Amino acid sequence: MSVMSIPLPRSARALRLEFKRNAVPYVLPLLAAVFYFDTLRTADGFPPVWTPRASVIPNHMLIEFSAFAGGLAAWAGSREGRRKTADLVAATPRAAWARLGATLAGTLCWLLLAFLAGVAVLYIQTALQATWGGPPLWPVFVGAAGVTVVTVIGFTCGVFFPGRFTAPLVAIGVLVPFQVGFREALSVTASSGTYALLSPSGSPPPVDAGVYYHVAPDLSILQVTFMGGIAVALFGVLGLVPGLRELSSAGGLRSLRTVFTRGEGWLSHAVAVLLVACGVAASFTAFALAGTARPDAIGGWQIPALHSAASDQPVPVTQDCTSSPGFQVCVHPAFSFYLDDVAAALDPVAAEIAGLPGAPAGAREVASMSGGQNVWSGISGNPPVFDFTAEHVGTAYGMFNGIPATMYIDSGVVPDAAAWREGFQQGLLDSFLIGASQHAGSVPLDAAQQAVEDALLTAAGSQPQDPFSQMSVNGKPSPGTSAAVSAAARRFAALPASARHAWLATHLTALRGGTITLAQIP
Amino acid sequence: MTATSVLKQPTVPARTTPRSPAGLRLTWLHLRSRRVPAGILVIAVCGTLLHAALHWHWTFNSGPYAQQVPMVIEAGAAAVIAVTVHSPFGETERSAGRWLPYLRLFAAVALTGVAILALQLGAAGQSLNDGILVLARNVIGFTGLGLLCSLVTGGLLAWILPMGYMAFCQYALLEAWTAPWTWPVRPPADRGAWICASVAFAGGLLLLTIFGPRIRLSDDS
Repeated sequence: MSVMSIPLPRSARALRLEFKRNAVPYVLPLLAAVFYFDTLRTADGFPPVWTPRASVIPNHMLIEFSAFAGGLAAWAGSREGRRKTADLVAATPRAAWARLGATLAGTLCWLLLAFLAGVAVLYIQTALQATWGGPPLWPVFVGAAGVTVVTVIGFTCGVFFPGRFTAPLVAIGVLVPFQVGFREALSVTASSGTYALLSPSGSPPPVDAGVYYHVAPDLSILQVTFMGGIAVALFGVLGLVPGLRELSSAGGLRSLRTVFTRGEGWLSHAVAVLLVACGVAASFTAFALAGTARPDAIGGWQIPALHSAASDQPVPVTQDCTSSPGFQVCVHPAFSFYLDDVAAALDPVAAEIAGLPGAPAGAREVASMSGGQNVWSGISGNPPVFDFTAEHVGTAYGMFNGIPATMYIDSGVVPDAAAWREGFQQGLLDSFLIGASQHAGSVPLDAAQQAVEDALLTAAGSQPQDPFSQMSVNGKPSPGTSAAVSAAARRFAALPASARHAWLATHLTALRGGTITLAQIP
Repeated sequence: MTATSVLKQPTVPARTTPRSPAGLRLTWLHLRSRRVPAGILVIAVCGTLLHAALHWHWTFNSGPYAQQVPMVIEAGAAAVIAVTVHSPFGETERSAGRWLPYLRLFAAVALTGVAILALQLGAAGQSLNDGILVLARNVIGFTGLGLLCSLVTGGLLAWILPMGYMAFCQYALLEAWTAPWTWPVRPPADRGAWICASVAFAGGLLLLTIFGPRIRLSDDS
């Protein structure tokens, strides 16, 4: 007897048939196209860092899979009703639960296979580009749980309401709650209630999430439990299908008793009821725990009952630094692909202020969140070092989200490589001109400081694009000041480098103190 | 049970059913066989859902996200229209009736009008981002795609293409695509978007009228 001719068990044969006859493969090309445009291209917009890239799984991939998973599962579930074969198959010796389970498993297998194939494409692409870290698994579990629960919901709807409108209705019926949950999750705060955290989709994480600290799995565990509970409960409901049908046709308490006490099906009914109870309990527990969520120190959420203190510990790592003997720039190895660009941006400005009191001897990247607060760039330490984060440099945000596409300062700045470079230079000069002890995230420069900064930027080869970005942070600059600042900046930039340096060495303390006027700038 | 009740003559003679005009009756039978009355009910549910979404602020007030939930509901209404093209009679009906293409055309156009009306009523008194023009354009465009899809997949699975296109447009919305064929993300007065949506609708209607939905594939799976 050859291997191929070994008869499969009955359930395996049924599953193979369902697998073969399923409608999901017909939709795979469409699903692949949507996956490419939505998930893959969105992920390409993030830097090759594992956590931000993996965030597209619950935020994009799950939503696009849900539309199809719900509809196709409803289509599969409605087969007996649609073809009016319910009475025919009811006479077969196979239990209804096993029959429906095989159909559900066939559909779910296809959808999960497609989902995991998409995850593989995403993760392989990231692995080829990432310079540090490894693939996070919790987003995959959340996504798989999401696909599973949507499939089970759709299938159950198809079994109970086998109409032609069931599939499209289920498709929009799962998408609308997803979108509403997404909206609520974007604005969730500890004071307004945290139940929206059960939504698998939410705002994308900081660009350095999972880099300096581990991402706590609390929320993911909660979401998987919630969605898994719903799936288990509905699967249990499927086990009660014949009884419920009988009940709906006969009605009355007596028939209810008959259904549950009849000899041949009591075990499956008991198991089904147990599954329903367990699923409801799991979902309710997750729902209750979601209400206890509180913000953690690194910008995420923690569930006290699930939280492990080990995930709060920083990830030990050695930074990647430039090897030049002068101004040394260090970044986390996850961002080492930006190291040369950051060094090229900072070196000319650092050369302009080298040797002056409080001038930084180097620059290093630090975590963008600490103690639940944003960390802004600034100069600190002895010898002084310019600290910046992957999110914030000066008044610019999202610096490591990508050089050409994401940088903006207040408004009106065209995102491009020059603006990205100037963001670093401006951030360094802001901190330097205000003083080493302050972090200059939102501290405005006065007119003289702004003129000196513009002059130094010009001398370093950059063109200040928005000379008032700093001055306008906390107020409106007067129209007359603009021309005066520009004139002073031009005058100061026209001086020889040695003269600028000498003037700064003499007047730096007064400039930082705000006692220098525009007219006093040579 | 005895045969008495069967053998007993009815006390009141059966009345002749009043005859309605043949065209009207044919149209009504055609609509019923496609579950159009139920479809209208489902479209009304979509309108109510849109009303609820706008009333309880399930959606964002402005910006690209504001179109997401309305777009899902519009695609849902279009998918319902596409599903109503399925015929339970198959080839038999096609060989028997010469009015069938006109009935298909009438049903699709009428349901599209009903969908626009129902969704407009749902949005009445609420703040719908981009207004009724975008809503109408989305409905006719998605419906056109659904009708085109029915030629390939059959009526019962014709919801797949509108849903897939809608999922793509969710991305195009956030990325601010400007191509006219991404009509759901274009401003209300964008001529190219109107042309693309209208072409999709006209193409779907024309091909559905001539060829009808595919009968075999979706029914066999």
